[in-house]
Order: sequence, then structure tokens, then C-alpha cells
Amino acid sequence: MRPPRSIDSTSSMRLASLLALTLATVLPAHARAAPCKDLPNPIYLQVGDTQQNLMKRLGRALRDNKRPDGSANPITLVFVLNGSCTNITAIYAKVPLKGNLFYIPSIAEDVAGAPWKPSDAPLTCTVPDGATDPGVEVDIANSALFNSACRDDGPPATVQLTQGPVQAYVLAVPIASSQTAITFEEAYFVFGFGAAGMIAPWIDEAQLWVRKVTKSTLLAWARNLSIPADKFKGQKLEASTDVVNGLNLGNPAAIGILGAEVYDANRTTMKSLAYRAKGQYAAYYPDSSSSARDKQNVRDGHYTVWSPTIWMDRIDATTGAPTKVDARYVVDLIAGKTVTPAPSFSMIDVIAAVGLVPDCAMRVNRAVEGGPLTLYRPTESCTCKYESLAAPTATACAACSATMGCATGVCRNGLCEDH
Amino acid sequence: MMLRAMFVVLSLALAAACGDSRVAAGDAPPQPDAGPPDAGMPDAACFTNPQTYNEIINACTTAVKVFKDSHPALLNPDGTVPPLPGS
Repeated sequence: MRPPRSIDSTSSMRLASLLALTLATVLPAHARAAPCKDLPNPIYLQVGDTQQNLMKRLGRALRDNKRPDGSANPITLVFVLNGSCTNITAIYAKVPLKGNLFYIPSIAEDVAGAPWKPSDAPLTCTVPDGATDPGVEVDIANSALFNSACRDDGPPATVQLTQGPVQAYVLAVPIASSQTAITFEEAYFVFGFGAAGMIAPWIDEAQLWVRKVTKSTLLAWARNLSIPADKFKGQKLEASTDVVNGLNLGNPAAIGILGAEVYDANRTTMKSLAYRAKGQYAAYYPDSSSSARDKQNVRDGHYTVWSPTIWMDRIDATTGAPTKVDARYVVDLIAGKTVTPAPSFSMIDVIAAVGLVPDCAMRVNRAVEGGPLTLYRPTESCTCKYESLAAPTATACAACSATMGCATGVCRNGLCEDH
Repeated sequence: MMLRAMFVVLSLALAAACGDSRVAAGDAPPQPDAGPPDAGMPDAACFTNPQTYNEIINACTTAVKVFKDSHPALLNPDGTVPPLPGS
């Protein structure tokens, strides 16, 4: 199932061009499309559009990153957004990046009096895109679901796969909708049969806001609903923002598929449906309630529609060593591994802020897309730390310190983790 | 198995008495006819030490539960879903 890359690339380039045009009109001259190669330690990434918020926050943190001794250790994430399957192909087949790419400014680059915020657009830099220009290789590619959901072959010997934070997917409806839940069987009929499925109010296929078949959001839902991706009913849209725009029209028959972090950023205009998986007694939200943001049901297995994010970087086929040390540094950071030198920011803060769940806070796992959940025990738990960020008023974790130990468990980050 | 049987009986009774979707507490006010427990209280029809997939997705939790009485018209008599059109 090879993705129609040319379609995605064309659309992405069009979007990038539009954004570049917009930025060119509103940004000061110093912020306009600089050559990407002139930015400090550029790392080139091609990631899913569900990961844009992660790119923004991590990109900002890395631009101002410091070593433990206080010396600067900046890395610039230069990225482009595309579908997961397209991204996998980009790094497997060495498809070069050209043209306008995104990056996040450092504090020093901020316009006086108007510091850059994650809600702001990224800046653009350029890679020469003439017919004879080679472009740049993708250092890191991201898939927001198991790679095997996109293609059957494994990675080439020159690419390493690393499992990162977990991404949940939701079915969202307009905020005024009377609906609160959907079952596996209902969703199967809605997206597998369309209007013929007769599941009111979702009987208008023009109001089924879905994604193209190279996108993780559609592939994840397709696997969880046992519907082949190419048979998924609805309007096949290029970007998550297109789904958001469709839902925001407010039609009572509207329903859309979104990454949970995209939904989290749009809660004022839409709501997610609680989902009852096949064989489940009740329906659950990704969070412990419709208003929480703790991803409790993702972490403990009550909400089943989620995927690990997969991060791919290049290695030497003979030695297995990363070909770009800074790229591996970024991948390891995202995956929650210990990195040297330690960054000057908390990576789990970044992960929690964008609605992802770090591996160390998960208590269930799965081996394939949409597959059965099994119990999981991470090497070192960060559940308390995660809850202190995502649900600070609800966590039951005890505080601890060098002078005040834990009654049970281990003191880590000032909190008593169970192991 | 006993817990599951209790749950099925409870669910059927509630389905007969109630309408469509019912939300069981958490941060929402308890529904008088909903039956399920309040936030912070373990569910009677759940697994306290989940090990299998079925037990994990039906484990006891303090999270909000939404019970939905759903009967899609095209469902097979045995409760399974039919093949997709054209399959």
C-alpha cells in the first residue's frame, strides 16, 4: 500500500507556499526565509501534522538549549508536515526536502515586545529547490502509528526506528451536538457503510470529516474499526485543520476524526465522543472525564484508540551508529531516554503540554496497530510526574524530597513513583 | 465470570428503564436513573486485577463511564457486524 506521495507533496508544498506568503507580509525582514543551512545545528524532520505542536514546543526549547555547565547547545528543528506513510517513504527512500521549511525562533530572534508563542506560526527557511539542486536529506521522519500500518516491509539497514510517546485519536462532534458516545458497532456502520449504515445522526456522508489514506488518523481508526482504509466513508481531507473547519460548521450530523492533541487545542468548539470498544461494557473518553486532560483512560487501557509515535533516524548500516549525533539526541529526547548532555528543559513537560503520553506513564501496550492491549510496566515510572502536569489537582501522588522519603515506591522528581 | 454476569443483569435492567446514553459521574453530576457508581467509587461490574485484554478494557476505574443502549439496524442477530458492502 504505497502512498500517493505526489498528491501529498503537492498539497504540502501549496500549504507551505501559502504560509510563506503570509509570513512574508507580516514578519520583519530579519525573520524572512533565511537559508536553512545557516541556522544553528539544523536537523531536518518530516513529521505528521499531529506532531506540529510538539515541533513548536520542542523546537523552541532546543533553540535555547544549554548544557549543564551553562554553555549554549542549540539545535534547530527544521521541519515539514506530511502524512505518516509519506514520511516513512521519505526516509526509507531518501526523498530530499526542498523549498520552504519551518523552524522555531530562539528567544534572541524574538521581535521586541512580542515573544514567539506556541500558538504562533513557525518561521520559514529555504532549501534551494532548483531542478539541479540536491535538496537535503531527512534526518528524522515520524509516523504517528506503527509503520506496519502503512507498509509491509521493514526499514532499510540504514534507518533505525524508535518508539516515542503515545498519541490518542478521537471522534469529535460539534460542541452543540447532543451526542456523547459512540460504540464500535455504530462507528463501523457510520464509516464502513456511510448513510446506508443508518446510525443517526451520522447519516450524511458529506458530514463525515475524515483524512486521506496516508494519514495516521485515518489509518488508526480504520484498524480499530476493522475497516480497510480505502473503504472508509467520508470526505478525505488533507490536513487536521480541514477536519476542524468542517466540524466548526456546526452541522448536527457532523463527525470527524482527529488526533487527541488537535482536539485538545479546539475544545471550545467541539467535543470528543466517549468510545466503547468491541467487548467493552461502557464508553470512555481518552481522559478521565470529558473536561479532564489527564489521558487516564489511554494510560490504563480503557480508551483503546491510540498509537505509539515512531521516530526514524539514519544509522551506519555496518556499525549501527547514528549518522547524525544531534538527530539521535532529538529522537532519544522525544522517546524519553537519558541523553548526554542533559538538556536545560524538562522533556516530559513538553510531551504533557502537547497532549501526548510518555512511555513511562503508560500501563498498557500493544504490538500492532489496533491490536489487543497487554499490561505494561515501564522501566522507571513517571506516572506521578505526568499527572502533576496533566492533572495537578487530581493526582494522588505524595510529595517527597531528600529529607522526606516515600512510604512506598521511589522518590523521583519530587514525587513518590510506584517504581 | 460472576462479576460479568452481574454486570449483564444490571445493564439489561438499566437498558429497559432508561433511554440512550447515560453518563456515570466523575466530574459530572450522577444521573438518578443511571445506576453506575459515583466518582472515586469502584464499579461493581469490573475487574479489580485485570490481566487479559477483555479485563483491561473493563477494569475498575474512577473515570467517567458512558453507558449507551445501542441497537444498530444492520447488526447481525448474534450481535456481530456484517461484512462491508462490496466485500
